Amino acid sequence: MASGVAVHDDVVNIFNAMKVRKAGEAEQDRLKAILFRLSNDEKQIIVDEGSELHVRDLQPGEDIFKRVVGLLPEKDCRYALYDSSYETKDSKKEDLVFIMWAPENAPLKRKMIYASSKNALRSKLTGIKFEWQINEMGEIKDPSTLVEKFGGKGLVVSVEGKPI
Amino acid sequence: MSGGVYGGDEVGALVFDIGSFSTRAGYAGEDCPKADFPTSLGVLAQEEGGAELGADKEKSSGRTFYIDTNALHVARPGVELVSPLKNGMIEDWESFQAILDHTYCKHVKSEPSLHPVLMSEAPWNTRAKREKLTELVFEHYNIPAFFLCKTAVLTAFANGRATGLVLDSGATHTTAIPVHDGYVLQQGIVKSPLAGDFITMQCRELFQEMNIDIIPPYMIAGKEPVREGAPPNWTKKDKLPPVTKSWHTYMCNEVIQDFQASVLQVSDSPYDEQVAAQMPTVHFEMPSGYTTDYGAERLRIPEGLFDPSNVKGLSGNTMLGVGHVITTSIGMCDIDIRPGLYSSVIVTGGNTLLQGFTERLNRELSQKAPPSMRLKLIASNSSMERRFSPWIGGSILASLGTFQQMWISKQEYEEWGKESVERKCP
Repeated sequence: MASGVAVHDDVVNIFNAMKVRKAGEAEQDRLKAILFRLSNDEKQIIVDEGSELHVRDLQPGEDIFKRVVGLLPEKDCRYALYDSSYETKDSKKEDLVFIMWAPENAPLKRKMIYASSKNALRSKLTGIKFEWQINEMGEIKDPSTLVEKFGGKGLVVSVEGKPI
Repeated sequence: MSGGVYGGDEVGALVFDIGSFSTRAGYAGEDCPKADFPTSLGVLAQEEGGAELGADKEKSSGRTFYIDTNALHVARPGVELVSPLKNGMIEDWESFQAILDHTYCKHVKSEPSLHPVLMSEAPWNTRAKREKLTELVFEHYNIPAFFLCKTAVLTAFANGRATGLVLDSGATHTTAIPVHDGYVLQQGIVKSPLAGDFITMQCRELFQEMNIDIIPPYMIAGKEPVREGAPPNWTKKDKLPPVTKSWHTYMCNEVIQDFQASVLQVSDSPYDEQVAAQMPTVHFEMPSGYTTDYGAERLRIPEGLFDPSNVKGLSGNTMLGVGHVITTSIGMCDIDIRPGLYSSVIVTGGNTLLQGFTERLNRELSQKAPPSMRLKLIASNSSMERRFSPWIGGSILASLGTFQQMWISKQEYEEWGKESVERKCP
């Protein structure tokens, strides 16, 4: 069952750009995170203007999760893409994580639309390995859930350069 | 607009959520249902004389139905109490139709052919019943568009989750329903009959033990105040018609349900006689005027929901307590999705409004769940949302402009027949 809400082409284009790294693209220009939201007429999912977080926007050693938290609205829902980099015992990895943000105190209508439109969006963003549902700010500040998803404490050595 | 899509948004869609205890119905886009009345209805088998042709009764094929709170509460000779649902699914189609007719006529006050209809269904509803319902609404009611949604999915969505474990404790059943990416995982559904009706039955036994007669208000003409614990002093209405046992029982149960809601409380830790004895007592007055205080019983009765092992009268006792219903259900799902289910246990249904229910459940689950799992219980603080969450979810969905393409339109029904429901509402 779905809401029938459509996905704007810009969303798909950004996803594709994040998925495929272009040769010669400077590391600084890489997009680390971006938010998507429901358009004001509630008909489609669009890019949340101004939510782009590039590598260059982060201070060296700055906690990316704190930055993302700063972007999320307290009483509304969002979808987000986050380009993670983490290290396992075997290798360095980079994977896209799809995030759904639905705080408990968002209006019921917003929660309903975002939850029922998620599949439509996900079906356009093919090949994402990880999905993270967050309903409280505390959950995103604590990346242990993410570590579990990446393979658990035994396997993951560091996330975003921070040792586990 | 393409041919098959239902394209009229000039009149509002209707949303029906028909549970075993009550029927919720109203216009999509509104915050709460316009109508909320008992799903049980009174039925008189044979045709009677024209003596009391009331406005509230609906007739069909020799059976007369008495629907909705007012009509249902009038004492009438020979009127039996029936429910159109069995196990959450439509069983008696004639009385089900009577409920729809009544809703259109008395609450919506409009023609069925003008409004698209979104209806909720039990997550375990069968294909045959879904198709029969689709046929009924298009052929008999001639509605312009239809959609059928599983209650658990609506509840999960209304709580901002496409994945979660929905614990629905209503009148007849307590059920755990795993929802993943907006779909019900059928193989993981676990049901237990330990729910609201079970508590009612336990209370009834308590009153028997305490020698307290339950006198429903319909029998009472007047009463005098009496001392606490003294026999009630009430006078019976004269000329009470010879009512049926099923109807009388229903009226008694309503008194007990009132008692349940105002007196009972779930203990926050497993029941302990000594702790229970310390409970502050609660005063309750029966409709007959009998009053007394209840202490330990307040905790003892609902304990059966969580720990059925000590409940008298449960044969063999293989029933699952609420905590077990959840862990068993999650245990039957794929290991990869279990963390997502434990981190979103959504509590819904009227029976969960018992005082202390969610606190106890939280405690039970934190003991039963694997220690590595992050556990989170989601229970709306608003009793309206807890009782109506499927309806409210359906109301939002059906009011969305984009939802128009999701409806089964009349034209699609005509093209594909009743199988259209399997295609569009999986």
